[in-house]
Amino acid sequence: MSSTLTTQRTTEHSPAQATLTGTGRLLRTMIRRDRVRTTAWVVGLGLLGFYFAHAIQVIAEDTSELVSLTVMFADPVGRMMVGPGYGMDAPTHERFFAAGYVLFLYLLCALMSIFTVVRHTRADEQAGRSDLVRATVVGRHAPLTAALILTVLANLAVGVLVFGGAVSAGYAFTGSMLVAAGGVATGVFFGGLGAVTAQLASSSRSASGFAGAVLGLAYVVRMAGDMAAPGGSSLSWFSPLAWAQQTAPYVVDRAWPLLPLVGGGVLLAACGFVLSTRRDVGSGILPTRLGRSSAHSFLGTPWGMAYRTLRGGLRGWGIALVLTAAMYGSFTQTMVDAGDDLPAEFSQIFAGQDMIAGYVAYMSLFLAVFVAAAGVNAMGHLRGEELSGRAELGVSTSMGRGMWLVAHLCVIVAGVFSMLVMIGLVMAATAVATMATPVDGLFTDAMVASVHQFPAVLAVLGVVAAFFGWLPRFAMPIGWLLVGCAGALSAFGPLLELPDAVLSLNVFGHLAGFPVEDITGTPVVALTAVGTLGIVLGLAGWRQRDIHNV
Amino acid sequence: MMSGTTPVIFTHDLMKSFGRVQALDGLNFNVEAGEIHGFLGPNGAGKSTTIRILLGLLRSDGGTVKVCGQDPWRDAVSLHKRLAYVPGDVELWPNLTGGETIDMMLQLRGQYNQRRRDTLIERFDLDPRKKNRTYSKGNRQKVALVAALASHVDLLLLDEPTAGLDPLMEVVFQEVIREEQREGRSVLLSSHILAQVEALSDQISIIRHGKIVESGTLSDLRHMTRTTVVVETDHPADSLATLPGVHNLRVEVSKTTFDVDGDTVPHLMPKLTSLGVRSLVAHPPTLEQLLMRHYGTATDGITAAGAGTSPSGNAPEQRQDTP
Ligand SMILES: Nc1ncnc2c1ncn2[C@@H]1O[C@H](COP(=O)(O)OP(=O)(O)OP(=O)(O)O)[C@@H](O)[C@H]1O
Ligand SMILES: [Mg+2]
Repeated sequence: MSSTLTTQRTTEHSPAQATLTGTGRLLRTMIRRDRVRTTAWVVGLGLLGFYFAHAIQVIAEDTSELVSLTVMFADPVGRMMVGPGYGMDAPTHERFFAAGYVLFLYLLCALMSIFTVVRHTRADEQAGRSDLVRATVVGRHAPLTAALILTVLANLAVGVLVFGGAVSAGYAFTGSMLVAAGGVATGVFFGGLGAVTAQLASSSRSASGFAGAVLGLAYVVRMAGDMAAPGGSSLSWFSPLAWAQQTAPYVVDRAWPLLPLVGGGVLLAACGFVLSTRRDVGSGILPTRLGRSSAHSFLGTPWGMAYRTLRGGLRGWGIALVLTAAMYGSFTQTMVDAGDDLPAEFSQIFAGQDMIAGYVAYMSLFLAVFVAAAGVNAMGHLRGEELSGRAELGVSTSMGRGMWLVAHLCVIVAGVFSMLVMIGLVMAATAVATMATPVDGLFTDAMVASVHQFPAVLAVLGVVAAFFGWLPRFAMPIGWLLVGCAGALSAFGPLLELPDAVLSLNVFGHLAGFPVEDITGTPVVALTAVGTLGIVLGLAGWRQRDIHNV
Repeated sequence: MMSGTTPVIFTHDLMKSFGRVQALDGLNFNVEAGEIHGFLGPNGAGKSTTIRILLGLLRSDGGTVKVCGQDPWRDAVSLHKRLAYVPGDVELWPNLTGGETIDMMLQLRGQYNQRRRDTLIERFDLDPRKKNRTYSKGNRQKVALVAALASHVDLLLLDEPTAGLDPLMEVVFQEVIREEQREGRSVLLSSHILAQVEALSDQISIIRHGKIVESGTLSDLRHMTRTTVVVETDHPADSLATLPGVHNLRVEVSKTTFDVDGDTVPHLMPKLTSLGVRSLVAHPPTLEQLLMRHYGTATDGITAAGAGTSPSGNAPEQRQDTP
């Protein structure tokens, strides 16, 4: 209703102009507010690009070393992690750069775009800041327009830096241009996606979560698609995250796969604008329904309260990861087929049973890192409970502060454990179901491989819990750092020839790679001890510190 | 359980600092059983900090604090069965409905009265089926209030409980608090707006910079309260200046403005009538006027608009244009 009114009013002047009034002013405010955060993203991404481009030349000095490293990208598991692997039949440094590392940059560009758009639209609205802005002379499309311009500018800046990094490493002009443009285009696409989810969801948290889930889905689809064949398969084309690498920089050098990215981004942004006229400021398009007028008696216990608080997030992650596990499991046969196509010298390394074992080991590890991310995210929820004052409200009842944390931690630990069990079950079942010829012990192996990761997940949670108790401000950064290290070092660690001290930061790297290796007891015991100790320490800290400690 | 002489809340030389900020600086005040105690102070004076210490959420740095005779830090759990708390800035679990939140809090606290819960929901005109995230600020506050007021407790700790309520709801709130008092409960009611606490409070303590600067019954504090009066009279009103208790008299044509001490208002009325009053407006003093008059400065962080006494109890919103 309000939109029709506005349209009538604005048609008196030039409507486009009126709805965009104040965009420039808003943009300047956003840039000023974001000067640290966005600069950190841009410079960080630029440095990462520079590092990737130059590091390869240090790691592999000549072609023979390069060829021996190529195995990691050319085999299906490698393609699954890093992309379609163009030009790995005749590797050069620049091809290695484009095939192995840029996907990581693209992922970060996508995240930067989503966060930037949502932060400057929904998050602002939620905090009531945009009411202050909208009360001044500002057109109704101005905030979204300004947020999108800021996002595009940030991506362009990243592009320039990445291009500079690649060219400074002596890589070809056109290819480097495509690598950089791929990042910008990916950023634009996911910025557009953020513009849509910001309108649909009923809070900024769910707007980011929604866009993040689409990004996750795109990654998973790309993994399956790129794994199936060198250069990707038709499934790859269903994932926007795969398009940028389809430009095949330094190999084919074609720009057209960037078109759907940019076009899609523009289309999504347009949808965002249309949707934004159909909703009121502060509410989402998806309706909120009425619920129960009284509580189930379970809710009135510490466990019930913790469960309801954390359920949504854990369930969302759990469903996404179980679906991913189902997809990976059902791709086991494709994996074996793809392995058969490998050149003779590779198939010696990854043949038959070993190939499947390697695949299962890698998948369990990869999924467990995501389970740890779900756990850390839930710990972040706890911190949010404290900062919002809800923890205070809960603790002010007779449950007491110790019970509050115990109940919440139990729900989180039980949640991540059941995720690992579910992932193992589903991966095992789908793998067994789709194999053309039965493989001995595949079901048990897949199941055990997933549950075997539990001590590592528990250790991550323990460290975060300890910080939550004593230095709450650092709990989340440390948690995400651990998860980030685990993800990055598991995927790229072997390629970067890092010192052992750095590699040991990968909590998951300490566990044996079951089923390729036999399970060893020491890391299992040690990681379980770290996790338990961390939780006990965290509880002790929480009992003695001020609540609502900012 | 408590003898008549033990205060429900007892603090002596209470200290609390956050880094370099000294939030409480030797706080001394008591709340007697069965009393409604107004806890008044400008923004940042230390009201919420005090209440959080009384709840055992924060640990004091020094001094003594007893709630119902117990140490709130050590005996938090048993103490929390006997008190209910409404935070100043109510944030609720977004995915629960209001009704679920109320029940959850009531059950977690212990004993409660289901009938009272239902009637309170009705009296506060609350739809308990809505998700918390869709409630307005005032409605979130109502949820927290119902969750506190329906429990069987001895003490209510209410941190600015009416900041988001509309005038009608504030009336309901005052009725309910009086009922609570009749049931024998003690209430600590914090606010930065004098008008909100004076209607209910038996005792008032004024906190400033983490110290109590005034304490007593409302009539004890009358010496502090000056009413601002604007009258239009048929005859010139200059003569009012000579009356005891009248200050700052200003005359503009037929309109006269002056301040009068709370306890001398009775003497003023006959005199005014004899002047032939055509119109009369009286403003109660605002907290910052009080503090200004007695302590020279308006205080820390307080702004005229931020703590103005509007009858609804809603401080007028400050709008800032982002450049
Ligand atoms: N967690 C904290 N960390 C640092 N400083 C704090 C913290 N909590 C409160 N303070 C400071 O302590 C002082 C007292 O704050 P408090 O919240 O008790 O004030 P208040 O009287 O409740 O004010 P208001 O009317 O605005 O709610 C303020 O200066 C505040 O900035
Ligand atoms: Mg306060």
